[in-house]
Amino acid sequence: MNTAAPGLVAPPRVPGDLAMWFFILAELAVFGIFFAVYGVARQRDAALFAAGQAQLLLWPALINTLLLIAGSATVAAAVRAFAANLVAAGRRYLLATLLLGGGFVLLKGWEFAGKFAAGITLSSSDFWMFYLSLTFFHFLHVILGLVIVAAVYLNARRGAYDAANHDGVETAAAYWHMVDLVWVVLFALVYVAH
Amino acid sequence: MTSSAMATARSASVSAAANDPLTNVQLKYRSQAVAKPYFVAAIGLFVGQIVFGLIMGLQYVIGDFLFPAIPFNVARMVHTNLLIVWLLFGFMGAGYFLIPEESERELHSPKLALITFWVFLVAGALTIVGYLAVPYATLAKITGNDLLPTMGREFLEQPTITKIGIVLVALSFLFNLSMTVLKGRKTSISMVMMLGLWGLAIFFLFSFYNPDNLVLDKYFWWWVVHLWVEGVWELIMGAMLAFVLVKVTGIDREIIEKWLYVIIAMTLISGIIGTGHHYFWIGAPAYWQVWGSVFSALEPIPFFMMTLFAFNVVNKRRREHPNKAAVLWALGTGVMAFLGAGVWGFLHTLAPVNYLTHGTQITASHGHMAFYGAYAMVVMTMISYAMPLMRGREANSNAAQVVEMWSFWLMTVAMVFITLFLTAAGILQVWMQRMGDTPLSFMATQDKIAFFYWLRELSGVVFFIGLLLYIVSFFVRGNERASA
Amino acid sequence: MSASFTKSTARNIFYGGAVFFFLLFVALTLDTVQALPKRDNRANLTEQVARGKKLWEVNNCIGCHTLLGEGAYFAPELGNVYQRRGPEFIKAWIKAQPTGAPGRRQMPNFHLNDAELDDLVAFLKYSSEINTNNWPPNIEG
Repeated sequence: MNTAAPGLVAPPRVPGDLAMWFFILAELAVFGIFFAVYGVARQRDAALFAAGQAQLLLWPALINTLLLIAGSATVAAAVRAFAANLVAAGRRYLLATLLLGGGFVLLKGWEFAGKFAAGITLSSSDFWMFYLSLTFFHFLHVILGLVIVAAVYLNARRGAYDAANHDGVETAAAYWHMVDLVWVVLFALVYVAH
Repeated sequence: MTSSAMATARSASVSAAANDPLTNVQLKYRSQAVAKPYFVAAIGLFVGQIVFGLIMGLQYVIGDFLFPAIPFNVARMVHTNLLIVWLLFGFMGAGYFLIPEESERELHSPKLALITFWVFLVAGALTIVGYLAVPYATLAKITGNDLLPTMGREFLEQPTITKIGIVLVALSFLFNLSMTVLKGRKTSISMVMMLGLWGLAIFFLFSFYNPDNLVLDKYFWWWVVHLWVEGVWELIMGAMLAFVLVKVTGIDREIIEKWLYVIIAMTLISGIIGTGHHYFWIGAPAYWQVWGSVFSALEPIPFFMMTLFAFNVVNKRRREHPNKAAVLWALGTGVMAFLGAGVWGFLHTLAPVNYLTHGTQITASHGHMAFYGAYAMVVMTMISYAMPLMRGREANSNAAQVVEMWSFWLMTVAMVFITLFLTAAGILQVWMQRMGDTPLSFMATQDKIAFFYWLRELSGVVFFIGLLLYIVSFFVRGNERASA
Repeated sequence: MSASFTKSTARNIFYGGAVFFFLLFVALTLDTVQALPKRDNRANLTEQVARGKKLWEVNNCIGCHTLLGEGAYFAPELGNVYQRRGPEFIKAWIKAQPTGAPGRRQMPNFHLNDAELDDLVAFLKYSSEINTNNWPPNIEG
């Protein structure tokens, strides 16, 4: 939070809007603490967590990882395109990000549907509590990320961005990268690490 | 910081009062003056709150003090209800003062504001008289609690008809302010203030929900209590602080307003799910221990940002406002809110710690400093800034400000000690009553920690002296006017 | 690299964040409400218990005691008093108030009749059987 002080003196030097970075830092702090608590709980009941993890399908999570990383690549490409004044290409990259993120939501939604159909809730066990809490909380972030990118996309269609002014795109990209980064850690921690 | 502020105030008094531009300051909008009775009532009720606090403090060590005239539960109800009501008077006064100025137009209806004031004051006074005059069960019977039972829950002890009255007063107040905002300039400060005030009214509606199921009762009780003090009230506090900081520092409002948004965004991000820290042991599912701990661990952040922010804008101020006392209150609010709500809240918010501290004097210590630091102080910040203006001057005389600053330090330091002594009592209570192989009973534990209750009571007396001095400061005239 | 910090982005994050986390809170609340029947002892929530809760409220018991850790901290926790003292002791105790012992904390006499005492005890028994995740840490509350 010490960054609060310099913000008043010198212009901040981060891509996108500084306000978004406060949000991103807060979100990373939430996920960071959540992951730490997950780690402690898993260590205290390793057998339960191993049994739960064995019931998770790896391939949809892997595809989802690829979808989010690809989304990060396209949104980064969109920033570069707008910076080079290639606004049409920039718009297409933003659309690609929306489609890739939409794919994540569909696949993840299918995974949740299976779990709910099996009667799994937050109260089923410690493992399922963490699984649902972490993945659903992150899932909501993907949706929020999509809303932000969609808003930027609509602005772009109105011709709001060009090489001189594309802060909005950078701001959205920063948020999307955060969502992606959190997922990679989550994927490793919940789906892969045994 | 104080001594330097006081020194500045003293040296400033050298300036001559002869052709002082501050002698006849007019309010920007005449209708802002309706805030004055609200502030006066707030301070009056504040005195009542502290008197009953002192009674309770004594009952902690001399159990039968004033029994059966004023049993502890009655004293406590008066103490907490007066706190809530005087803060509401303060918020409403702040709303009536701040909204016309932000909206750049007169208040929609000053007459309605005055009617609302008297209705609220009389209803509040009758409720307090009811608490003191008859047994609570009788009050419940007279006021028809059976028709819609809402009484007898902590902080929501008001008779149902009083609760309905509060809703009507709030609606009249919100109507008046909303009409003013709609017809005038819309600033970020006024939008945040209005959002906070509307939220206050809306979440209060949950006080009418009182199911037989104790867990549901408690779960939604927190939608009033937590979503007030760790949610919408923080918006009100942020808006009030931002308003005063814009005025006394001369810093560009764009800068102040964007930081206001960032800080209150952090407040709600952490604070809404942070409600979960109340759901650990009241029958709600176990996962709240994780969700509540994770989010409430972040709750100190917005308070810390607010402190840094307040000090930063004051350091970079573009003008020297003659009202040094208001600046001191504003900075004090930041620090004490961070300590009381942020640090003392964090101390016992994590589930494994809270398992031991829940419902002990630790909770009481946090409650005292948080309410004083965040809400009592922000209201006094607003009063300190607005009251001189409503009395026709930009700032009070030097002598009056010195007395006010003394009252600031007496009350604030006394509150720090009250908090420390209650914390010590709480730690010992947890140790003796909840840890170890041979735990003591509740009452046996209370006897052993009586020493700290005496010290707390002593600090309370100092606080009361500070409060009396605060009132005196309004009557100190002083020949020389303070100036920049 | 551009650098900016705009009020409009800060405002959008405030409103967006507030809506996002409030909706999440509502979602968790819905889950809680669905999970409660297994935890809140509603099977034993009889008419008598409901009457007892009303008595608990209109006598402002929370003004001195805590119940599941919430309330005032002046008198003992009552969420587990049913286990700590048992029904007969509780009724006798309430009837015997105030003790009048000099200097001791005093509890008023609430003039409850035998049926009302039974209702209140039923409420305390019901409260003591709520699943509180093992709180309080020991019988002393």
